[in-house]
Parts: sequence; structure tokens; C-alpha cells
Amino acid sequence: MRRRLAVFFSGIGLVYASMAAGSQLYDQPAAGARSPRNASYDIDVQLEHGDRSLHGRERIRWRNTSAHPTSELQFHLYWNAWRNADSTWLRERRLGGNTTTPRSDAWGWTDVRVLRVRLGDRLFGLQTRYIAPDDGNTADRTVIAVTLPGPVAPNETIEIDLEWSAKIPRPFSRTGYIDDYYFFGQWFPKLGVLEDAGWNTHQFHSGTEFYSDYGVYDVRMTVPRGFVVGASGRELDVKDNPNGTTVHHFHGEDIHDFAWTASPHFVERTRTFEHPSLPRVQMRLLLQPEHAGQEARHFAATAAALKYYGEWFGAYPYGNITIVDPAFQSGSGGMEYPTLFTAGTRWIAPARVTVPESVTIHEAGHQFWYGIVGSNEFEHAWMDEGINQFSEARADEAAFTPNYIVRRYFGGFIPWVFRDIRVTRQIDEGLSNYRLQAESDAEATPSFRYWPSTGGNITYYKTALWLHTLERSLGWPTLQRIMLSYFDRWKFRHPQPFDFFQAVSEGAARDMTPFFDEVYRGSNTFDYGVQQLVSAAAGTGRFRTTVVARRFGEATFPVDVVTTFADGSQKSEHWDGVDRRRIYVYDGASRARSVQVDPQRILLLDVNYTNNSRTLEPRASEASLKWSLRWMAWLQDALLTYAFLV
Amino acid sequence: MRSWSDGWRRVFAAPAIIAGVFVVTLLTALPLAGVMGVAMNQHLGASLMANEAADGVNYDWWQEFASQGNFLSLGSTFTPSILGFAATLDSFSSLLDRRPIIPAIGIALAVYMVAWLFLSGGILDRYARGRRTGAYGFFAASGVFFFRFLRLGIAAGIVYGFLFVYVHEWLFTKWYVNVTRDLSVERTVFYWRLLMYAIFGGLLGLTTTIFDYAKVRAVVEDRRSMTWALVAALRFLVRNPLRVVALYVANAATFLVAVAAWALIAPGAGGAGLSMWVAVIATQGYVLARLLVKLQFLASETALFQRSLAHVGYAAAQATVRPEPPIVETMFDRSA
Repeated sequence: MRRRLAVFFSGIGLVYASMAAGSQLYDQPAAGARSPRNASYDIDVQLEHGDRSLHGRERIRWRNTSAHPTSELQFHLYWNAWRNADSTWLRERRLGGNTTTPRSDAWGWTDVRVLRVRLGDRLFGLQTRYIAPDDGNTADRTVIAVTLPGPVAPNETIEIDLEWSAKIPRPFSRTGYIDDYYFFGQWFPKLGVLEDAGWNTHQFHSGTEFYSDYGVYDVRMTVPRGFVVGASGRELDVKDNPNGTTVHHFHGEDIHDFAWTASPHFVERTRTFEHPSLPRVQMRLLLQPEHAGQEARHFAATAAALKYYGEWFGAYPYGNITIVDPAFQSGSGGMEYPTLFTAGTRWIAPARVTVPESVTIHEAGHQFWYGIVGSNEFEHAWMDEGINQFSEARADEAAFTPNYIVRRYFGGFIPWVFRDIRVTRQIDEGLSNYRLQAESDAEATPSFRYWPSTGGNITYYKTALWLHTLERSLGWPTLQRIMLSYFDRWKFRHPQPFDFFQAVSEGAARDMTPFFDEVYRGSNTFDYGVQQLVSAAAGTGRFRTTVVARRFGEATFPVDVVTTFADGSQKSEHWDGVDRRRIYVYDGASRARSVQVDPQRILLLDVNYTNNSRTLEPRASEASLKWSLRWMAWLQDALLTYAFLV
Repeated sequence: MRSWSDGWRRVFAAPAIIAGVFVVTLLTALPLAGVMGVAMNQHLGASLMANEAADGVNYDWWQEFASQGNFLSLGSTFTPSILGFAATLDSFSSLLDRRPIIPAIGIALAVYMVAWLFLSGGILDRYARGRRTGAYGFFAASGVFFFRFLRLGIAAGIVYGFLFVYVHEWLFTKWYVNVTRDLSVERTVFYWRLLMYAIFGGLLGLTTTIFDYAKVRAVVEDRRSMTWALVAALRFLVRNPLRVVALYVANAATFLVAVAAWALIAPGAGGAGLSMWVAVIATQGYVLARLLVKLQFLASETALFQRSLAHVGYAAAQATVRPEPPIVETMFDRSA
């Protein structure tokens, strides 16, 4: 492992050093390229529509970017997660509460028939073996390893040829088929990432995603004539074969994955994103016919992501992007792949409800946090999902305000929009989701080891909440500079958590370690509150006000305590939030009216904000009367509906 | 249409019944609403969060409160669906989608249904006679028929149990899932779901109608055997299918008009004070409208039955302290 000394100075002259893990020795961009391009794929694949299978040949040019030679290669065979019921993916899905056994026609798998490696002038046929580096599960076949006839030195390049066949599953984890709609994600044998510490090739887990090196993808897809194909990269040419098939040739550079879709029913639309200071991007939308009329919403949301992410973090460099509107029940919605993503809308999609906008912004946003900054999603899912969740919420707010809460009834088909409840970043349900499982895992736990059903709330919502907190604490200009700097430093590379923390501390000009100790390394919750507010007469025209602020949660964060008096004056105190309590006593001519801990709601992670304030003129009885009466009407409605039966 | 209009005449001719069922509906909901109010009050305490919650919506507090382990788990039902017309969508969706109900709400529903079973005897008796029976007469009839209707209710419960446990499972979990499994167009899947709702709703409607007419026959003809009342109700339906269906459709249409009107005027969250009381009046008005429609089902079915059979063209006899069954009154009436 290579050591990196990171030294920086805070405003008070703090100096510290730390170690970073996982950075590569030769991960600088290749000549004339944006990325190292150390794992490039040429793939020919044929879709057999009749028996729902893929048959492919691929050549990988791989360069060892680590500091050490290697005598082994490791590959992902993701589709083998659905090869048998004892795969790690299906075991974890059961742990997460989904005990449904896939039907007999649902399974999918990949078989590698041939694997050859060219070392120098010689070609070696190699035997594959299944390994299970994460859990030792011998029934799991999502990772194979081969032993090379000789070592590959650092910065040395080899070529690997594979021939494989795959059974296309019914939709699992955003990939598979339904009717004549296909979506192919993680569909080809793919190399793991060789780091200085060794191969980073995790098994496929139900709760986490992927990690791979950057390269150039040149892919020819043969499909039945009449199918519309969308894919990562840019389409170079289309050729009809005499046998009723068509070959679509796509090429993508500086990307770390390749996904594609095919269906005869796509309605194709294109539009150009233009911005005075950002590169032009050709947007291609493949829409389901039943969503005709929602083109503008998809394009507007994609453009919003390109605009705001581009302005805040850095430009989208690829020049084209494909938006796939997935078929109903395809299970492929809301997923990101380089230069292509799947959105997700409904047949009835009311205006001013951020579906499809929010999912489109989110997945388009992943082009930045995942596509360009290529973090390890197996281990640090928060680095793409969480950061992107935060970014998406900002872009949503900037582009699509106001928008409202919606609930769906009758099997989810009939939406009802609640114009009384506007969605804001404060109440976008992130906090309510996080609150439910706040202590389930520390973010520092490798994401694939999270309890299967809890990862989302930690990965997405906790991260977004602490980033919102950082924004409120440092100010958006500072946080934006931090994220821009981090983006610029780590684009087309594989950052580690420390790299982000370092960027934050540098940008904040102070050591942010205590903050990350709480939100990243720990699973404690934040809960500050007011224990007591007393304001009593103390002599003629004088009042003594006593305020007791409490820290109810284990986690600490500095907060303000503001007391407001009847004459409108305020006393503001800054509390470091470390002690369990803090008492403030004020003598003055005015009686206190209220006190608030963290009145600006800086600490958005506070799981109980109701106890953060106390007033001597409470209106709880008014509020509770109003809401209990509204709730009673709901109950009466239910009583009447069920009374239909008698 | 005559039965339909006759039904409305009978409903409005008995305002005490309207008031009575309204009060029962209110009293069934009130205790749990009280529990909810206390829980909210405790949670808000002296917090400033109450200000926004009183003046409009404080969704921040709302979510926080709903996530607490409130007494009787009622907090979990405090969702946006309580607002306006969503409450109606929520309750029908809950019934037709067989969504789980928390125990506290389930108990309230059971109490309410039993209350309706009790009141049905008196209500039908009043509608069948077409004249005042007085409180004593009403409750006497309710008491007389309560245990008969309880037996009928057990039979209905078995049928409904079968429908919800087996038929619903078969329709929505097996047939619907199998038939839509390979469909990739949402609209088509939705049409299939509508078909399932139509079938299931139709079965519920048919069951309700059979048991309604069994109650009508039990009261009008003073039947003691609920088995034979059921058989007689079926016989009536078989002999008068068009009239029964036409009346049901007319009543269902009335119900839909009431619901549609509510969809247009249902108030939003509003604030405390005057707007809260306006909202209360509006929601209670809607509850009243729903109750009127429910009573109209019973009254019009009674009217249709009485119009269809030879022995029911009786005129009301003089009030008695303890009313005889309608059929007996009819006999007295004729002998006089």
C-alpha cells in the first residue's frame, strides 16, 4: 500500500497527517485521454430473442495500474447471482425480507467457455475457478479467478480473450427482459479492479453496486431487425444482416461500464442541451409509447442535471447522453450507467410531482458521482449514492420548485397530489427514512456488509443529511468549492473516503475529523433539545429567565441556543454541544417568550426536532385539536367504507 | 325509480334515524381521535413546532410524530392520506386491496359494524312501517332483530371471509399476477386490475345485497330463521333481477355523485380557528351524505321489496307501545 502524506493547515494552525488507501500508482490519464484507460473492451454480442440468450466474444486490453505485479486475474460474472437459490445475492435478498423464490423461467447465468491470455507473443488457454472473497459461499459463482502463466508487471498491458454465453434473466437488479423489452446491465464478464492491496473483486451483493476501471468500450450488438437499441457511448454505425438481424456498433471512451437496451417499441426523441459555459450535449430519449407526452419532462430534468451539476462540480464531458424510459414491470428503472441511464415514470404522472423529474436528475447526476468520479460502490456506496442524493435534492429544488407530496392508491395506479405539503430538502422524507434506522450501521462499514434492508437509509439519506448539514454549517459557496475541488481532483479515478474528507477539511480550512467521526465512523444519533424554560418575576419590572439545553443523543455537534423575549429581543449563545446540558440564566426587563436550540436547523441530522424548542405561549392544544379532528374524519371515512359490508 | 324515490322519502321522513347513525359514527371515532389528540398534544408539548402545525402543515413534525411509537400504534395511520378526498381514496383502496389494518382501527371497525347490526332492525322496521315508531319501538325492534342479525352477520362474515381470504387471493395474487406478469404496458396492467376490482367489488356488492334483502325480509315478514330469510332473499333476487340491479345501480350512482362532489370540495389542511371549524363542518357534512346514501340503500330496498310482494301493501296501524311485526300489523289492518 502506498502511503500518501496529507498535510494541511486549519485556521488555527492545526496540522495532521493521515493515510489513504487504494490509490493506484499508474492511474494517471493515458496519453490523450481523460482516464487511465487501463481496462478496455471490444465486444461482439448476439441477442437470441427466441431463447432469451446472449452469446458474446470479447477482448480486454488490461494494464496493471497497481504498484505490484500480479499472477492472477479476477472477473465478475454478475448474472450468476441468479444461477441458483444459494447465491450470495439471493441469500441476502432473503435476509432483507424478500423470500420469493424465482420462477423457473426467471433464472439467469453466464458461462465462460473460453478464456485466453496473450502474454508477449504467446496465447495461453486458462482454467477458471470460482472464488468467494467476501463470504466464502461456495454456491456463489459471481466471481471467477484464473492463474496466469506468468506475472504481469506494474504498468504492463496484456490482452485477454473470452467467449461466453448467458441466459437472460427475468428482471433482477435492473437487468433482464420482459415481453420484448430488454435491459442489459453487468452483462459481460468483467475484470475486477487491481489495487495496490490486491484484487478488489467483490461478489454480487443484493444491496450494493459495482466498481471497475476506466477504458474504451467498442461494442457490436446484433439484434433482431426492427429493435431500437440504446447503449453507453455513441452509435458509430448500423448494419443490416441478410439473416434478419441488425448490428449496432457503439463506442465509448473513458467509461467504466457499458449497458444497453433493445426493444421494438421505443419512441425515439432527441434534443440538445446548450449552456453558455458548458459543452453541448446531445440528449437521446428512448420513451415508452404510453408515456408519449412526457418527453419535455425527461429532457428538462436531464438538462437541469447537466446544468446544475455542470455549474457546481464540473462539466459533463461526453457530448451525448441516452435516457431510457423503462418498460413497466421491467424492474430496470432508476439506474445509472456511463452516458446512459434509466429514468422512471408512470402512465399517470401528475405535474408538480417530481416523478419523473427527481429520478431523472438523480440518475443523470450519477454521470458525475459514479460515472466521472469512479468510487467503489461495493465498499463506499455513500460516495456516489449519498453525494448524488444531496446533489439531486439541490438540483430538484433549483429547477422544479414547488413540488408536492403524492400518494398512490389502488395498487399504486391512482395518484393523489397533496397541494398542502410542499417538498423541501428539509422534509423530503430523507430524515424520516434515516430516523428509522439511524443506528443500524456506521457508514464506515463496507457497504456490502450492511444489513441488507438498511443500507439505503444510511447510504443515501444519512449522507445527504450530513451534506445538507455541512452546507448549512459552512455555507453553500464553501461546500460547492469543496465539491468542485474534489470532483476535479478525482475525476476518472477511484477516490477513497479519506480523499473526500481531506477535500472537506481543506475547503473548510479546519479539521473536520470530529464531524466525520460522528457521521461516518459512528452510528450515534444527534438529538439536542430544550429541557426547561422558566421566566419568573424577580423584583419590580425584572424577570429571571432560566434555560436548560440538553444533549439527549450520543453524537455531538455545535449548536446555537437562542432565547427570545416578549419585547422581541434575543439572546444567542453558541454551545459546543459536548456536555450533556448547558444552563443559561438571564436577568432582564422582559419575560421570555421562547427558546430554540439550533434555530436555523443547521443540524439536519437531529432526529427529534420537536424537542428543540419551547415556548411559554404554547399552541399544542390548537394544533392537536385540529389534526385529531382531521384524523377523525379519515377514521369516519374508513368506518363508513367498511360498514358497506353490513 | 319509484323505489329509489320512495326510499329517499322514507329516509327523510325519519330524521331521528339520520341523527342517530350520525351520532353513532361520531361516537365510534371520537375515542380514538381523543387518544390521537392526546398523543399529538404530548408530542408537541410546548414546542414552537405547534405554531406551524396549527396554522397549516408542519410536515417535519408530522413525520416525526408518525414515526414515534404512539399509543395503540395510531401514529402509523397519521399519513397525508387523512387530508381531504385522499381519505376516501385511502379507505376504498384499503378495502379493495386488502391492506392490513392496525388492531385499534380494526376494533373500532368491529364495534361500528356491530352497532349497525343492532340498529338495522330498528331502521328497517321504521322504514317498513313508514311511520314513527318512537324511541321505544325503535330500540325494541333493534333488540328483537339484533340476535337474528348477529346470526346473519356470522353467516355474512363467513362469506366475506371467504371472499377476502380466498377469492381476493386468487384474483389479485394469482390470476392478476399471472395474467400481467409478462405485460410491459402499465395501462394494460391497470385495465386488468380494474377488471379484478370489478369482479371483487361485484361479489362484495352481490353479497351485501343478498344479506340486505335477507334483513329486509326478516323484518318485514318477522322471520326468525335467518337461513330461510337468506333463502327468501335469494328467491326475491332471482325473481326480480332487473329491478334489484336497477335499484342498486341507481343507489351506487347516487353514492358516486356524493363522492365526486366531495372530491371537488374537500378542504385541505387549513389552519386552526375558524377554518378548522369550517373544515369540520364540511367533513361531517360528507359523513352525513355517506350515511344518507347508506340509509337510502336500506330504505329503497325495503320499498322495492314491499312494492313487489302482495302482502306488504299495508298501511300503518295505530302506534302500539310494543309494535308487532309488520306482517302482523298488516293482518290486523286487513281484518279491520
